[in-house]
Amino acid sequence: MAVFENAEVLEKILGGFFRLLSGTPEVADKLIKAKLIIKFHYTEPDLTLTVDCSGDKVEISANDDTKKPTVEMFMKAEIAHKFWYGKVNLTAALARRQMTAKGPIPKIMALLPAIKPAYAIYPKYLDDNGFEKYNIHK
Amino acid sequence: MQLTDFFQFHAPTKIVYGPGLARDLEAELNDLKARRIFVITDNHVQQMDFYQETIDGINRTGAQVVGVFSDVPANSGLKTVKQGATLGSELEADSILAIGGGSVIDTAKGVNAEMSLAGDLMTDFCGTHTMPHPLNPLIVIPTTAGTGSEVTLVAVIMNEEEKTKMAFVDRYLVPNLAVLDPEVTLSMPPYLTASTGMDAMAHAVEAYLGVDASPYSDALALQAMVMIRDNIVKACQDGQNIEARGNMLVASNLAGVAFSHSMVGVGHGMAHSCGGLCGVPHGVANHILLPYAMRYNLNACEDRLGVLARLFFIKGTGLTGRELAEKAIDAVFELQRELARGAGMPVRLSQVGVKEKDLPEIATATLSDGTCIYNPREVVYEEVLQSLKEAF
Ligand SMILES: [Fe+2]
Repeated sequence: MAVFENAEVLEKILGGFFRLLSGTPEVADKLIKAKLIIKFHYTEPDLTLTVDCSGDKVEISANDDTKKPTVEMFMKAEIAHKFWYGKVNLTAALARRQMTAKGPIPKIMALLPAIKPAYAIYPKYLDDNGFEKYNIHK
Repeated sequence: MQLTDFFQFHAPTKIVYGPGLARDLEAELNDLKARRIFVITDNHVQQMDFYQETIDGINRTGAQVVGVFSDVPANSGLKTVKQGATLGSELEADSILAIGGGSVIDTAKGVNAEMSLAGDLMTDFCGTHTMPHPLNPLIVIPTTAGTGSEVTLVAVIMNEEEKTKMAFVDRYLVPNLAVLDPEVTLSMPPYLTASTGMDAMAHAVEAYLGVDASPYSDALALQAMVMIRDNIVKACQDGQNIEARGNMLVASNLAGVAFSHSMVGVGHGMAHSCGGLCGVPHGVANHILLPYAMRYNLNACEDRLGVLARLFFIKGTGLTGRELAEKAIDAVFELQRELARGAGMPVRLSQVGVKEKDLPEIATATLSDGTCIYNPREVVYEEVLQSLKEAF
């Protein structure tokens, strides 16, 4: 069974997490500097989240087809969930096509240092916001 | 040995080797069902004797060469790819034959994708594993012994408008047939032999030291290093030495299969940046930077560097692991000096058009190179800058 019951739950959890990150200066400042629009395409359940860092602040929107992304990432929601724990072997996930990336690779690379602090934030975020049952540390 | 959590090995390219083989490809072409072949090459290759013999050879089989696209520059870009694809489609080609070095082969991969897939190459397929189905057959005859591109899943194509190098990593880009004919490499001058050969050496070393190294890539990388160690100087000294040429061509191919699996690291990251920002040819940059990249990774892979030391005939009696690892780096410096004496190779970035003021920008670009995630030590700005200063 998929980790997240439906797209609404997924939006609440990952969308909420991205909104938290967008208010976390040590992450958001680097994202804004990279001037990217990243679109995450999730399956099982289907949802897209667009993280728009092209302006002065980070904006998050769901199933948004109006913004033209610089970089797109495709993955199952479960892989995304594990990724935010720092539990995905990135090079293996890319090689196995569990994650695929569309767009200029240097821009994708610029994201990695920016999101480093996020791995530690995710489990705590789940606990603090009533999503304990999704926390795989428990 | 310690195995990583996951590895895979998938090398679908059929590889055939033989002096003079480029002239006689009937059996291989029949296998591929290639009938209307579109040739992609460059103006230099087109002037060589073997080139016409290769084309004539194909036309004697049931297949025919339906057209030739030879306007491929040294650092090929999207415009070239589009021009090639338009011509290939007009000619109703069903397969592509690339005859040339890295730029020609990567262009051919781009042309093949553009011709075989519905969609726009840059907006729909740039990135990792974005291609929805296999492409038309792609046959490659490498004319240099270095890039290994005849067996890899990678193509790098310049976006002229945005002045950025676009990387395409896709299982469907892997060529179907690689024809290793040492006769087609005989006319390479010593400088090109040395620089492309050291690019292959860098592929082997970085594939061996990288985080995704597996017993499969190790076996190929180590064999490649042995063959390059024994033949690169000989091939530079006597270009007509067919055995040395054959060894270099096969070694480059083995290193290509190795790094198509475990990728390359910070050495290539720095080399790509020196190429992009200062126009340093890829092989020359790798030749200069390889020992510095090994030193960068010394703390993370002492044991593996120790294996390389033994490969360079260092006995290591009474040496600590670290001392042995340092000897491996010294051995590559020594090879560098030998190629400087024998083939006129530069050994410092300052000799190839890089200015000291460029180094910070090169370091910054290295950090966003796709190779970073495969390097055994984290790629950080200050340390990359330090390595570049040492190589300057
Ligand atoms: Fe290379």
